[in-house]
Amino acid sequence: MSTAAAVAPPVPTGRARRARPVRGESAAAYGFLAPNLLLLGLFVLLPVLGAAVLSLQRTNGFGAGEWVGLDNYSRLASDPLFWRVLLNTALFTLLVTPLSMLLGLAVAVLLNSVLPARGLFRSVLIVPMAVSGVATALIGVLVFDENSGVLDKVIRAAGLPDVPWQSGGAAAFASVVLVTLWWRVGFNMLIDLAGLQGISPELYEAARLDGAGGWQRFRHVTVPLVGPSSFFLLIMNVIYSFQVFDIIFVMTGGGPQDATSVLVTYAYENGFVTRDQGYAAAIGMVLLLLTLAFTLVQWRTSRSRDLAG
Amino acid sequence: MHLNRRQFLGAAGAVSLPAALAGCGFAPSSTPGPAGSASSGSGSGSLSFTTWGTDSELAGFRDVISRFEAENAGATVQLNAVPYEQMFTNIDAQLQSGEAPDLFRVPYYTFGSYAGQGQLLDLGPHLPADFADRFTPTAWAAVQNEDAPFGVPHHTDTSVILYNTALLEAAGVTDVPTAVEDAWTWEQLGEVATALRASLPADQYPLAYNWQGNGVTRWLSWLFQADGRFLAEDLVAPAIDSEAGRAAVEFTQSFFAQDWIPANGSVQSATYASDLWYAQTVAMTWAGAFLLPDADATLEFEWGATYSPRDVRGGGDFGGNAVVATSGADPELAAAFLDFLTQEEPMRDFCEVSSLLPTRADLSESGVEFVARPELSEVFLGQASQVLPEDAGQVASPNMAAIITVLQDQLEAAFVGGQSAEETVANMADGIAAATAA
Repeated sequence: MSTAAAVAPPVPTGRARRARPVRGESAAAYGFLAPNLLLLGLFVLLPVLGAAVLSLQRTNGFGAGEWVGLDNYSRLASDPLFWRVLLNTALFTLLVTPLSMLLGLAVAVLLNSVLPARGLFRSVLIVPMAVSGVATALIGVLVFDENSGVLDKVIRAAGLPDVPWQSGGAAAFASVVLVTLWWRVGFNMLIDLAGLQGISPELYEAARLDGAGGWQRFRHVTVPLVGPSSFFLLIMNVIYSFQVFDIIFVMTGGGPQDATSVLVTYAYENGFVTRDQGYAAAIGMVLLLLTLAFTLVQWRTSRSRDLAG
Repeated sequence: MHLNRRQFLGAAGAVSLPAALAGCGFAPSSTPGPAGSASSGSGSGSLSFTTWGTDSELAGFRDVISRFEAENAGATVQLNAVPYEQMFTNIDAQLQSGEAPDLFRVPYYTFGSYAGQGQLLDLGPHLPADFADRFTPTAWAAVQNEDAPFGVPHHTDTSVILYNTALLEAAGVTDVPTAVEDAWTWEQLGEVATALRASLPADQYPLAYNWQGNGVTRWLSWLFQADGRFLAEDLVAPAIDSEAGRAAVEFTQSFFAQDWIPANGSVQSATYASDLWYAQTVAMTWAGAFLLPDADATLEFEWGATYSPRDVRGGGDFGGNAVVATSGADPELAAAFLDFLTQEEPMRDFCEVSSLLPTRADLSESGVEFVARPELSEVFLGQASQVLPEDAGQVASPNMAAIITVLQDQLEAAFVGGQSAEETVANMADGIAAATAA
């Protein structure tokens, strides 16, 4: 900067001298942002706006819809199936988010240590990320099919009673949670592993010299220092869980008796099977509001925690 | 000429943006789009035709198209084959954006949703005067909307019982009906299922039924066999809260109560009945003829086919598909192609290769011979003869999409949740009334 200041022509005031480069930098920043903002506007904001308008109409998608104001939202409030799928979605999120984060962190810590063939283990855990959700669900069907699936065969061989993975509500819900964990833990591990590798070994050495045991080093060094990764994962896992579709659609179709139906499968059913697209859009708007509210709360909480830290 | 980095990036962006937008459909492409149809008269111009299909079905369509093009100089039909899973979300989006193909294939139970919403071309004024006479009354009824034809019945299919010969013989079931009038009664079917249950180990079951997903319309076969209806003759008022409705629910509910069917064989299950039968988890399944080529090629056990049972009368599902034209198509050319598509020779060739049933009255009478398992052709043809026009007419209701959801929810509650037959048909009647009033 001193060189730049030395060669810059004299200017009347310091304020004017600073303003020119700031304007230039802003323009450059907006220039770089513009393609993304354009795409975001076209493919995210515009459809969201369209869905919001659609949610105020009764329409099957053909021709002009009938303007019904908030009728679709009041129908939602009195629809027992909507509350059921909302509860299912919340339960799915409450199970999948902490479990995938905990398992991901545990595996990341393990694979960050001196472990033979850790590169191989890391690859094996990351492989599910490369598999599409539908393919993952099809593998899940092979495992959890209650007539010919691998898991019930193992359970039977061990002399235990069959588990109704497809016809029992709780077991079916557990099956989609387990397959989702198999799919998601690798991603969580990858992000945590990146966070762990940014922690200086000297901190652990210092903690050890201060007499901290393994658990204390994990609790008071590792956990706080992977905070940014955890924050990112929390948001991503919650958004993913709210939006889960493919695994449930393929594995259970929402059954038995809607035990595994979630907001997105219910919206799909209304939008593309029943063709009640205004109602489906209203479900989508509820999903959007829930996701935004959660993200906002987390954003504020996390910022204050960082400030306190 | 020297370019600095900023100028280079700006120029690159300016050049690439139109290409990116064209790829996304926001700018016209330089090559003609497939949806365009010439506004010429019959015999010349182009049509776009979107369908899904097995390899043999697509080969059949390509063959018909090339013959049509050879006989009509200047006419072209562009076939656009898509996976079934994407077919109707694509069609809906294309209709909504005014980019629909000129022709598309549609199941009879979905036909009404499009015809009733003014999305299809009324073919009545464009088809020959005696056109309806070539079809069976049932097939012609399946493409009517407010007494006008909005499509042509291209082929049909119906479900019969496919059985595992060894498993039936092990249960002492050796006398399987060989004529449609000798089909098992519900009671006899129950006796067969009971014998199979006693003979099979706990992890095998007597039967599976193909009512999963949108196949829930196949449950209506039981209602028709009990001589019931789900819609009154006005096709608006519900008619399912009846003795026949309760009998159909009670009988099919008993499949689960008596352990005749696997617990994951209900309507909301993601496991298809045919997969349960392929895996020999069940001894019998209900299946359409379209399954024959695959079953013939892959199954290693001995199997056969017999008729669906009867109660008060015989009955079955009017499966299969119509071909419809959209309102933007050249009506004369579309009608000429649909006329050609449903002539005797093209329909016979298509049905024999694809293991599907004809909708023409003459072919239904004289029969077709499937390439795969030809001896089973008459079982499917005989079963199709049990479907009455009034059965097919109800399934062509414009409100069928919403009715399907009602059937799925209520049958799942009956089969898995143990909801009584009385409550089930009462709820179905309420749901159907709401669906047809919407």
